[in-house]
Amino acid sequence: MTDQQVVAHPDAAVSAEFTELASDERIAKAAAALERNGIRSLLAATGADARALVGSLLTAGAEVYNNTSQTLEAIGVADDIERSGRYQPLRLRLYRMDREMQRREMRILATSPDYVVGSVHALTEGGSLVIASASGSQLGPLVSGAGHVILVIGAQKIVGDVATGMRRIYEYCYPLEDARARRAYGVASGVNNILIINKVMTPGRVTAVIVKERLGF
Amino acid sequence: MSMFDYDARPVTPVPVLVGTTTSRGAYAIRDFLSRNGYPFEWVDAGQPDAVRAVLGVAEVEPSALPLCILPDGSRLPAATVEQVAAGLGMVAAPSLPEYDLTIVGAGPAGLAAAVNAASEGLRTIVVEAVAPGGQAGTTSMIENYLGFPNGISGSELAIRATVQARRFGAELLLARPLVGVSADGPGYVAELSDGTLIRGRAVLFASGVEWRRLDVPGVDDLLGAGVYYGAGPSEALACTGSRVVVVGGGNSAGQAVVRFSRYAQQVTLLVRGRDLGASMSQYLIDHVTAIPNVEVRVRTQVVGVEADDRLRAVIVRSGDSTAVRSPADALFICIGGAPRNDGAAGIGLVTNTAGYLVTGSDVAREPGSDWPLPTEPLPLETNRPGVFAAGDVRCGSVKRCAAAIGEGSMAVALVHRRLAEAGGD
Repeated sequence: MTDQQVVAHPDAAVSAEFTELASDERIAKAAAALERNGIRSLLAATGADARALVGSLLTAGAEVYNNTSQTLEAIGVADDIERSGRYQPLRLRLYRMDREMQRREMRILATSPDYVVGSVHALTEGGSLVIASASGSQLGPLVSGAGHVILVIGAQKIVGDVATGMRRIYEYCYPLEDARARRAYGVASGVNNILIINKVMTPGRVTAVIVKERLGF
Repeated sequence: MSMFDYDARPVTPVPVLVGTTTSRGAYAIRDFLSRNGYPFEWVDAGQPDAVRAVLGVAEVEPSALPLCILPDGSRLPAATVEQVAAGLGMVAAPSLPEYDLTIVGAGPAGLAAAVNAASEGLRTIVVEAVAPGGQAGTTSMIENYLGFPNGISGSELAIRATVQARRFGAELLLARPLVGVSADGPGYVAELSDGTLIRGRAVLFASGVEWRRLDVPGVDDLLGAGVYYGAGPSEALACTGSRVVVVGGGNSAGQAVVRFSRYAQQVTLLVRGRDLGASMSQYLIDHVTAIPNVEVRVRTQVVGVEADDRLRAVIVRSGDSTAVRSPADALFICIGGAPRNDGAAGIGLVTNTAGYLVTGSDVAREPGSDWPLPTEPLPLETNRPGVFAAGDVRCGSVKRCAAAIGEGSMAVALVHRRLAEAGGD
């Protein structure tokens, strides 16, 4: 279980910069850029709309891996994936597997789901997606392992460019994530791996759902 | 999006089970959830800090144990397997008034039959007392199953087969054992322990075997308190650093040894026979004998146990020597098997003296078989037309996972033929 509660960011100025929802104009600009980069983009007015959109994108019976994500938890997508019975939720399957005897099966299951559903740390107006990871395990499926990728993105994550996206990770996301990880797991987090998706060459593989609400961090 | 992403724990709440490590009831629930692949959190009631973390208080009234906290927050005091299964929505009712095929048991034979029957358009239902996978479902790694050169765990095979069967439309009813089968016109009615009735034009017994009880004084009193029947996948982690004894000479015992050797300080395999070759596959013998913390003792059997509130030692005798005390934290019994033929007597199915269901041309040789048709029973057909048996429960079957899957698949073709002869197929 992850900890739903997000602690306040220690730097008010940084927090103000990266928690403000993007304007409709910037959202439209980022969405259009995503489309140019081979990433399908869908707009949702609310978290509830985004939840319904994600549900419409997932195929019943598919193997679905939901990345640990405050965004997915907040809008109920994590619950839909793990509890609805409509899909094969891989987190549940992995959780009960024998880490000594089934390590190989776990690796295969986790890296090649039919769908991976998650979020990003930044979306640029030029249509690039920026994602940081402590272990890196979620990055492989996003790039190529998963059959389909669905990313739900709160509009406060839209930034001007990749450099600002990197600053968002280091200055805003990391302190919050580190605090969350220490509280939830008792260990530190780390910006150990960073993935930047500038363009997707397989049409329809990656879908970004941009939500006009502040979701996750 | 979390950066701490190597943790694969479910994001949503899982059921929490609070109980003592010596509770038979708590073990039954752990075993049930584990074998059904249902994630849960186990809290030892003897650990005040752990109890406080989930309940807010350090102690639980003993009469309330085992206590199960469901994902919605509701609590089941003195919980039973049936209550937990119902609380988690694992208990379903049949959706149809009649099925073409009722399959008893969701082990390899039953699941193979379900996949084949449902994929060929038969209205198919499977009833299973505990969990999909049968004995094979608790196997740590099947290394000689066709198409999986690196092996596949029994639980993964069971999950895949269950998904496959459901995808083709087969229904699975879990957590309620079959209590009887009776004739119903040209078909049969199966009754489950909760009174659920299932009408089927044909029935396939693929109910497998259960572990044979170890006839040693005191053993059954310690069930769940250090003594377990089968490979006990739910107990593997709890065996970390402990001394484990496994009894049995078959593949199941070998698989249990491999699993527990990854966790335990020492694993001792006790085999009554002269060597392992009589009943264990060679690849498994090679594996078991090469593990440094495993000791294999042949011509040895358990003759007693020592315990306080849980198992502390086993008393073993090798050959004609005197009995010796051997400290042990856990004893896993994987000996032989007794056929699970519950419900078969209700329609007069003939068995051999050990209780295995007699089928095919062997039926005619059994006194009192009372076969009613002018032609012989079909292969795998019992002495009642339309009632078949496949896998370990069938007399003369090869006690191997792949063989059971073959029989389950083959049974469907024979069911088709019988239904066609009866008309309406």
